[in-house]
Amino acid sequence: MLSQIEQLTTECLSAIESAKDQKQLEEVRIKYLSRNGSIAELFEALKTVPKEEKPLLGKELNKLRTKAESLFSEKKLSVDDSISQGAKRIDLTLPARKVELGHKHLLTQTLDEIKSIFKGLGFSVYEGPELESDYYNFEALNFPADHPARDMQDTFFVNKEFLLRTHTSPVQVRLMEKLQPPLRAIMPGKVYRNEAISSRSHCMFHQVEGLCVDTDVTFAELKGTLVAFAKQFYGRELNYRFRPSFFPFTEPSAEMDITCFLCKGKGCRVCKHSGWLEVLGCGMVDPNVFAFANYDTEKYTGYAFGMGIERTAMLKYGMTDIRTFFENDVRFLKQF
Amino acid sequence: MKISLNWLKEYIDLSDISVDEIVSRLTMSGLEVESVEDQNELFKNFIVGYVEERGKHPNADKLSLCVVNNGKEKVKVVCGAPNVAAGQKVVFAQIGAVVPSSGMKITKAKIRGEESNGMLCSEAELGLSEDHSGIIELESSIKEGTTISEALHLNDVLLEIGVTPNRADALSHIGVARDLAAIFQRELKYPSLQLKDSKKRIDDYASIEIADTTNCPRYSAKVVLNAEIKESPEWMKRRLKAIGLRPINNIVDVTNFVLHEMGQPLHAFDLDKLAQQKIVVKKAEPDAAFTTLDGKERKLPDGALMICDGEKAVAVAGVMGGENSEVTATTKNILIESAYFSPSSIRKTSKALGLSTDASYRFERGTDPARTIFAAERAAALMAELSGGEVVNACIDAYPNQLAEKEITLRFAQVKRILGYTIPELKIIAILNALGIKVIKEEKEKITVLAPLFRPDIEREIDLIEEVARINNYDEIPTISKIAIPISEKVDESEFVDELRSIAVGLGFNEILSIPMITEKAARIFGEPIELLNPQGSEMGFLRTSLMASALHSVEKNINVGEKSLKLFEIGKVFKKVNTELNSFDDFVEEERFLFILTGKSTEKEWYSSEKEYDFFDLKSFVNEAFRKKTLDNLLNDSYYHNANKIFDYSFSKSHGKTLLGEGGRVKKAVLKQFGIQQDVFCFEGSVEALKTITGKEKTFSELLRFPKMNRDFAFILEKEIPSNDVVSFIKKKGSKILKDVHPFDLFEHPSIGETKKSVAYSLSYYDPERTLTDEEVDKDFHQLIESVTKAFNATLRGK
Repeated sequence: MLSQIEQLTTECLSAIESAKDQKQLEEVRIKYLSRNGSIAELFEALKTVPKEEKPLLGKELNKLRTKAESLFSEKKLSVDDSISQGAKRIDLTLPARKVELGHKHLLTQTLDEIKSIFKGLGFSVYEGPELESDYYNFEALNFPADHPARDMQDTFFVNKEFLLRTHTSPVQVRLMEKLQPPLRAIMPGKVYRNEAISSRSHCMFHQVEGLCVDTDVTFAELKGTLVAFAKQFYGRELNYRFRPSFFPFTEPSAEMDITCFLCKGKGCRVCKHSGWLEVLGCGMVDPNVFAFANYDTEKYTGYAFGMGIERTAMLKYGMTDIRTFFENDVRFLKQF
Repeated sequence: MKISLNWLKEYIDLSDISVDEIVSRLTMSGLEVESVEDQNELFKNFIVGYVEERGKHPNADKLSLCVVNNGKEKVKVVCGAPNVAAGQKVVFAQIGAVVPSSGMKITKAKIRGEESNGMLCSEAELGLSEDHSGIIELESSIKEGTTISEALHLNDVLLEIGVTPNRADALSHIGVARDLAAIFQRELKYPSLQLKDSKKRIDDYASIEIADTTNCPRYSAKVVLNAEIKESPEWMKRRLKAIGLRPINNIVDVTNFVLHEMGQPLHAFDLDKLAQQKIVVKKAEPDAAFTTLDGKERKLPDGALMICDGEKAVAVAGVMGGENSEVTATTKNILIESAYFSPSSIRKTSKALGLSTDASYRFERGTDPARTIFAAERAAALMAELSGGEVVNACIDAYPNQLAEKEITLRFAQVKRILGYTIPELKIIAILNALGIKVIKEEKEKITVLAPLFRPDIEREIDLIEEVARINNYDEIPTISKIAIPISEKVDESEFVDELRSIAVGLGFNEILSIPMITEKAARIFGEPIELLNPQGSEMGFLRTSLMASALHSVEKNINVGEKSLKLFEIGKVFKKVNTELNSFDDFVEEERFLFILTGKSTEKEWYSSEKEYDFFDLKSFVNEAFRKKTLDNLLNDSYYHNANKIFDYSFSKSHGKTLLGEGGRVKKAVLKQFGIQQDVFCFEGSVEALKTITGKEKTFSELLRFPKMNRDFAFILEKEIPSNDVVSFIKKKGSKILKDVHPFDLFEHPSIGETKKSVAYSLSYYDPERTLTDEEVDKDFHQLIESVTKAFNATLRGK
């Protein structure tokens, strides 16, 4: 009987397999799987075999039936070319129903990227007010009154005491007033300069400030951190240089340049033929600033940095007019 | 600041160092070279040409047809200059030359049908002056074919250097040379002085009196007699022209020369115009006016430091001389002023006058009080040389307020502590000495130096570390990566708004960023605004008191470019006065807010739908969903205002307890009109700060319902005025414990049910988390509710 089962298995499965349409398949079903089909006949015959052979033969027979039934239902779907009852033919080429995702502003997206890199480097994120006092914006950052350094930043004043912050650096001072070292934080936000609005400059833009204070922070660590950031943000194949500069609240101060990514350092209009693009200002926190925060300058050292976002985004996305950011034309907003 | 490399080389030997190297090392030491103009490069292909023939152009009256000998051959050139003539030696731009003033490249061309192989140039075209009246005529002795660089001595390299405000010392050729001397470890050569002995005594010619010694610590003067005022010699004019200065006469040119040579501003007075031949330095009289040598009468600011003679003011100290005492063609005797003024005093005056000069620029950054005499003597010697005058022996030197060089200690260990690497001690000492910072004491672990008076920026140990670091090149500082702070301390204050932003974007809104400076009119609609003292115009004179006030401008702009359907959001700060006077942070509020704006069509005309305008309920749904996502929905109260207020025709607000979180609705036409908007706009503006104060409960998981819900619907005919939400609240209150939700799902208004009536259908959901409900208990509650609603609202059950 075992050989009978084996023979039927081969026969039945190949019959199902080779059925070409519904009709043939139905014939196969009647022949093998119906109540009077070949498989049922064998089950009938099973009753008469000796008792000790029953378990094995029963198991084999069951296997055959399960296999045949599953192959049959699979085949049935594949030879079925009829449309479901009640279904209509539709024009699938009509346009899709409109669903629109919203868009974060390109500057927000750029800021998000910068934040996420610095968060990965162990920095916290803090914020501060935009309407600032002269004390936080200038004095505590070591800009003496009547010093030409103040000319570096054209300021919108509300009165003698209050102004729209010209940089995010005042948040450094606020942070140091509030917290004790170790500190490792970035402070993004809007800043304002009273500069004529043109394709290259605007009266409002965004900065990200950075501050790190601890017992043994050095210029070498400042370089290391900013290079790590720049490689993540601008790309691995990056050439950079740190060039001495001046900010009243850092000493020594530097500007970080990276190879112009448009001309790869050969010199072009964007980099003013220097091959370099200035991407941020930085330096070691000036002891005078620590003094305003009552930090012990013999115990702590620190570094600070600040970068503008607009120019970075413009370079990255090939934009030529900074005003585009604040005109809020949805055709621009939806591009990114 | 422009620096001429030829001039620079008078003070330091740079013969074996390439221009590229000089440029790169200067930049890397803090004197950023912003551009380089190499005249040899600039005037490549410009040579001396000899005009052999000049004829008329057959097709143009104003053009000439010339034959020019370029030293090798004769070529045809079309020229438009009125002064061109045969026999002239001219500046000839050959094919391939690039005209400096326009950037135009000279090519072989046909001009009105005639061949032209180059161009004859004017001074303006070469960028040498503004003169474009005609072509340059060169001396006839210069041989044709000679390069223009050689013929006109245009073989300089000019560096445009951006000097940071701390580097007062670098604002001159010697100043730049000093940095180069330190970088390349070479000698800095000062100009030598050769003054002839004169029998005359200075005290017989002039006297000085300083009334304000705080603002004028030192005033030195030198006298030159019998000078002949004339044009400066070529070498002097070349120096000044190279750095963009216009030569005036031999006396004024010398003062300018010395200023750019060593950074000391000088002024030359006509000694005979000084009453009593006396100089008095004092503060201006209140409300005084003064005519500066540019011919402008200026009102003097309070406390401005003035240079006066025995009777009157003759110069605004440190800023500009006066017309009444300037050197003119008839001047014979000269008093050279070489002074040191307090930087802040000059800065105040210069700012108040709105007048910045080469002199004031340097005085307000700090000049060298130790070298006033040297500068005066240098100028006197040059004036004598250029004018044939006689230098009176000695100087008058009033130095009532002696300034002392500051002693500073530098600990070697601190250099490493700040920079992160070790610089050899000998190198540190060599760098400081080369910069003119004298090391006066050397010890095992530290040195003591004297900070020279020309370096007012060097006051502390850290300033010395910066000097050493920059001269030794920042490239030498290693790049070390380490993360030293435990990550568990991390804070992100921007997380909350970032999440809000993500919610808005998820709901399909586009983020805008608006300038918060707006018109007074727009600002006043929403609160008591803060005015800017120095705005960019009245359009931007006030700070926004609401995000709507700035965002509606963006709405209008978009509509104007044809983008009429908008779904926008903004998160930003608004500013409001609390008290009239702003003296402290308590007198105003700066608040972070968020704004949703809808206008135009929510659905355009489509094959699957007809077009649909945004309405109040779109706004409500987006706002509700945004708040719900912040997990606050069940804590909030909604209020509805069917009547108009200042901003909205109708509106709703969301609050938590007594805290208003936000308000929105349909913006009134009158408000929109101010922004030039003619279509309906729906706005909701809320406070981020207020939202932050309700942190909501920490979210916890609620068990999913395992038993079936049972639904019952009914519809009532009600008076139109009855708010549908009142009925909902009533049903919720009256219903039994198993009634969990009531939702209005149909609204019908038609004359057939009465003009003042409406029909509203409600769907009721019943369930119990613990068990399956029976039809009986649900029906019982449902029928009781029909009765109570009918009674309470004088309603009729529909279909009955």
